[in-house]
Amino acid sequence: MSADATDHHDDHHHVLPFWKKYLFSTDHKTIGIQYGLAAGAFLLFGFFLMIVMRWSIAYPHEPLPGYLSWMFTDGWKARWLDDGKVTGETYNMFGAMHGTIMVFLGVVPLGFAAFGNYVTPLQIGAPDMAFPKLNMASFWVYLAGGLLMCASFFMESGAAKSGWTNYSPLAGYADRQIVNQFLAGQTQWLIGLVLLITSSLLGAVNFITTIIQLRAKGLTWMRLPFFVWAMLVTGFLLLLAFPPLEAAGIMQLMDRVTGSSFFMPSGLYSATDSAPMDISGSGSPLLFQHLFWFLGHPEVYVLLLPAIACVAEIIPCNTRKPLWGYKPMVWAVIVLGFLSFIVWAHHMYLTGMGPVISTFFQTTTVLISVPSVILLTSMIISLWGGSIRFTMPMIWAAAFLPMFGIGGLTGLPLAFNLADLHLHDTYYVIGHFHYVVAPGILFGLFAGVYHWYPKMTGRFMDNFLGHLHFWPSLICMNLLFFPMLTQGMAGFHRRWYNGGEGYIEKGSEGVNVFGRTVAENISINEVMTGAAIALAIFQLPFLINMFISYFWGKKVTSDNPWGATTLEWATPTPPGHGNFTFDVAAYRGPYEYSRPDHDSDFFPQWEEPKRDAPVEEPAEKPEKEAPKA
Amino acid sequence: MAGSIEEVQKAKRLYMFIGLLLFFFTVVTVAVATVESLDFGGHGFDKVDAIIGLSIAAFKASLVMIIFMHLNHERPLVYFVYILGIVMAFFCIALIGWAKDDPIRYGNPNASDGFYNPDKPATRSVH
Amino acid sequence: MEIPFIVNVRKDTGLINSKVGIWLFLASEVTLFGGLFSGYLFLRLYADYPWPERALPVLPGLINTFVLIGSSVTVVFAWAALKMREWRKFQIYMSITLVCALIFMALKGIEYKAKFGHQAVQIDGDGPVQGHEIVEGHVHYAELDKDGQIHEVDKERKKEDGVFSANRIAFKASELSFVLTRPSHEAYVKEILKQAGDSHTITLKEAYRVINEDELYKGDLNRTELLESENALIADAGAELSTDVLDDLEDAYLDARSHDRKVRTKFLAASWDWIRDEEGIDEAATYVIEMDLWKERRKEDGEKLKIVTLGPVAEVTFTIDPPLTLVLKPGDLVKVSDVDIKLRDDTVAKGEMLPSPIIMGVDALDFRHTAQRAEAEELDPFPVIEQTWLLTHKAHHGDEEEGHDADHRNEFKKIWDCHMAWLKAETARLKTKGREPSMNDKFRVNWDQIIAYRDVNEELEYDAKMVYEYASDPDDDLVLYSSGLFDLKGFAGANHNEFDFPHLEIPRNKVGFESTFTPRWNTYYAIYFTITGLHGLHVIGGALVLGYYLFFGRKMYDSNPEWLANRVEIGGLFWHFVDLVWIFLFPILYLM
Repeated sequence: MSADATDHHDDHHHVLPFWKKYLFSTDHKTIGIQYGLAAGAFLLFGFFLMIVMRWSIAYPHEPLPGYLSWMFTDGWKARWLDDGKVTGETYNMFGAMHGTIMVFLGVVPLGFAAFGNYVTPLQIGAPDMAFPKLNMASFWVYLAGGLLMCASFFMESGAAKSGWTNYSPLAGYADRQIVNQFLAGQTQWLIGLVLLITSSLLGAVNFITTIIQLRAKGLTWMRLPFFVWAMLVTGFLLLLAFPPLEAAGIMQLMDRVTGSSFFMPSGLYSATDSAPMDISGSGSPLLFQHLFWFLGHPEVYVLLLPAIACVAEIIPCNTRKPLWGYKPMVWAVIVLGFLSFIVWAHHMYLTGMGPVISTFFQTTTVLISVPSVILLTSMIISLWGGSIRFTMPMIWAAAFLPMFGIGGLTGLPLAFNLADLHLHDTYYVIGHFHYVVAPGILFGLFAGVYHWYPKMTGRFMDNFLGHLHFWPSLICMNLLFFPMLTQGMAGFHRRWYNGGEGYIEKGSEGVNVFGRTVAENISINEVMTGAAIALAIFQLPFLINMFISYFWGKKVTSDNPWGATTLEWATPTPPGHGNFTFDVAAYRGPYEYSRPDHDSDFFPQWEEPKRDAPVEEPAEKPEKEAPKA
Repeated sequence: MAGSIEEVQKAKRLYMFIGLLLFFFTVVTVAVATVESLDFGGHGFDKVDAIIGLSIAAFKASLVMIIFMHLNHERPLVYFVYILGIVMAFFCIALIGWAKDDPIRYGNPNASDGFYNPDKPATRSVH
Repeated sequence: MEIPFIVNVRKDTGLINSKVGIWLFLASEVTLFGGLFSGYLFLRLYADYPWPERALPVLPGLINTFVLIGSSVTVVFAWAALKMREWRKFQIYMSITLVCALIFMALKGIEYKAKFGHQAVQIDGDGPVQGHEIVEGHVHYAELDKDGQIHEVDKERKKEDGVFSANRIAFKASELSFVLTRPSHEAYVKEILKQAGDSHTITLKEAYRVINEDELYKGDLNRTELLESENALIADAGAELSTDVLDDLEDAYLDARSHDRKVRTKFLAASWDWIRDEEGIDEAATYVIEMDLWKERRKEDGEKLKIVTLGPVAEVTFTIDPPLTLVLKPGDLVKVSDVDIKLRDDTVAKGEMLPSPIIMGVDALDFRHTAQRAEAEELDPFPVIEQTWLLTHKAHHGDEEEGHDADHRNEFKKIWDCHMAWLKAETARLKTKGREPSMNDKFRVNWDQIIAYRDVNEELEYDAKMVYEYASDPDDDLVLYSSGLFDLKGFAGANHNEFDFPHLEIPRNKVGFESTFTPRWNTYYAIYFTITGLHGLHVIGGALVLGYYLFFGRKMYDSNPEWLANRVEIGGLFWHFVDLVWIFLFPILYLM
């Protein structure tokens, strides 16, 4: 399986033109990389929006500095900035789009679509996804939806500004002044969302079918790498949780475009028009919240599982011992997927739900921490007694464990409806889920990038730049997110565009206790903003690393540079069209490291058992597919 | 359904029969909703009519699924996926309904048990 | 490279790829429609208005059900034909399926069109429940007469220029103000210019001037002189309104605003630099001190800024000479008062509001909402209904001409009296069966009832006595068109070509909420259009795929017929699913 093999394999393929090979490719690896690059660009953009917001929080009276405002035109600044300062409206717009971009356009496509696309078919020994054309369509629909959402920044209305949750009636009313509703940011957000959901559905159908149908010979369910299991469960989450949001999105779209009242209650009064709204009313805003969070909660696991999956691949490889508790982890992830469908209303404790149903959702929410803890604990115990190689991916994976731990544990108080009464919509919530998503999930995905980069390009990423990326990122992330937890407990609301400055002036007179707690905690905003800017700067080493390693990185010497056991390392480097150069079959489980009866410290899944070794037959006899007519 | 030619030939008669059955039950649905002598429950539309109408629809839908969509020939896996989807949908609709119908009760309206009750003025002054 | 299990099944799963895929897709479709059905359920259960029960004509829905079930049968037959390698039969069955899809969509189109042309008005009255009576019908047509007043015209003239649907706001405008912060006014400006024609001139009231940037920095002139200068003039007074002129004004305004903002930003940044340099920020609790210092500094800056900014005016006013009657759709206005109106693009017109009634032929009266509100107030609904505007208003024509002052009732009161007579007989009839009339029976007068009440008398006059006689006589029933399921006169609802319906003019201040029967009218029609529309898209999608197999399948049939059979089976599965959704939609939307 050397480079020669690739050539041999490619022999019977005609050369594809550039646009077919790289742009409109149906190859799962190219599509995976396309997803990765697009999602990376969206992540950077979303990150930029966040820094502008953080500037406004820390320095509400100061104009944006040149390094943040250079990319806006004068006309845009005149429209959206108040003498160079971020206005409340602009903050709302950036806030809504930050959330949307990070969740729907950044992390999900990076974790599920990019890694899933690249790695899953390789790990199950498939030549490609089950429906390659659908795969391509899925990417382009995603890109169209994402660009449509972002294009609204340049429109008269600006982009969506009703929060990433887009609650009605606010979202149904915003941008009503725009005559052609299809040119309103709020409407485009919905159209973009419907496109993104469509893309996710196509992707989910494709992933699940691929995993069910295209597993290699001998790759039985319990021989699947944990990564594949996680992708399967993620696929089911997307498949069943996203359509209700699509329904909600369509209904909200109708509200905006046709003037219906699905989510608009009776008796709404518009302050800007000083008149009752000219709609029929009798809609249900809570219905939107239900439908939104019915997706919204499984979505958290859609974000999380790919990251856990990457880490679960990297840890056994770098500790040189099997993943501890593989089977419990598989069952845990299935249970997790199931439970995630019935916890959604813990986002809605404050909507006037009664105590009985609150208790139900509180119970399921606490229950779901059990499988999560099983996953995390299994991975931590996997470290026990391993001879850990602190390679670049392993460092990220190791940091993932405590960071995700903090994220998960800070979620527990939010699960209890009494504690949530105090913490709801404060920075505590922001701190909690950013700990899950940023130092948690993103670290896991970074680990994945460093781990599979050699397979994708044939070169390693640079270690020095890697360290220069990792350590500052770790420190800055904590400086940024930990104060959020304390601020939140002090009552800082998550949507203050001026960081709580409005309360401090009342507080200075010494009457208002809340004003005093705000005064005590407000100055830490500057530290957090500094950390955010530093965090941005220290992503540069990563971008540089990705780029220069592609051309000048250290070359890999074998197709399996990490000495890993799963099937993706059996392919040539980088894998050609059709992936495998031999008739691939799996003879054993995915994490056979340091087996005493084997001479090397890893025993790949694809390696045929030796004659004198104990018989390890494929669980089922390899069968040849009947030739097609 | 990867049946042989004979099986398919035989199945065609079944399809015809099921089609007629579906036509028949469509007529029944309309009849119980429009003909006065077939109006069950109270006069006009009420719960009983809703239950009858939806039951007939569910029966027709299962005929379509089992016969036309060949569920009677599929492996349990397909049942699993499909029924999972339906059960999830119903369960979640039920949960939403529950969430909407679970009121917050404010203490005892007659006795002052210390709980906040918006219908009664506070007995103790709060500062 | 070939992907396995496209044609032949994988042994351990027993399925081909595409079948796994379609079943997964259908599972997601179940949750999609589940979301919409839950929307239906909760909107209906928690509606704060009377939900329209059995509001749609049943016949089109029934035919569509037959059509879809029929197509489901033919699509399995088409698949069976392929399995038995009978191409000709496959073609026939598949063609029938596609024709069925076509019929289905055509019927849907007829239904939708009837809804779009059907108007409902909820009347805003006085009294304990503020009226809330609803009339349904067709809006008539109107034009402006010489005095600029709305004037009804014959239906035949509806295609003519200057004739519009009689649901418009007429406003005699003498002044128009545009807000220059809104970058585009094109749509409304074009409409206004079209209505103005050649007979009215719309000109800029005062010259629009913005200080020239270069002149400001030269520093030779004071601000008044700067404004007076030739370079400052963007458009002179008397300039005629056009989109180009507005564009020029907008550009000048936006440029100047952009300049000012830049200058102000620089000052703001400098003031913070000053604070940072002068007063160390490291000391504890500086935040408040800092703010105080900064505010002082800002005051000083404010004086300087007055000198170095351009200060453009954001609003321009045009005068219309002579005053022009604008005819506008109610939906284009966000604010209406007697002296000014505001368009959706923030353009304000000043002038005088003219009477802008909705003129319509009424085919149904609906007092259910009135009754519901009365019952909520613990009032007897019938006296409340008698006091509504609809039953008490004076008609403009008709009654007085006849000279006898015995009957002061307006036409709708007469209809209502007939309805009460019918209700009395009906209640008695139902009582013998141990039943009671429904909400619909009591408080809604449907179009076929209006016709029947009128036709009962040979002179075509509403006669309550005869209605009662007919209704209580078991042998002699009233002719109700909608209950005769196969009478095509009411196929898609009230037929205004066939019947003459009573005429009503509703003054604008009595209009509470008006809409055609679109998603806007209420949540029932919202969910009806959304679900059936989405279902219709599924029908079209399915038909496209099946049509592709029919018209482009021959090549694959010759090379690999089993593969084509598989594909048709997959397409068929989707088709059955679409049928299955309709099986639920038909009863819940048409019969419940």
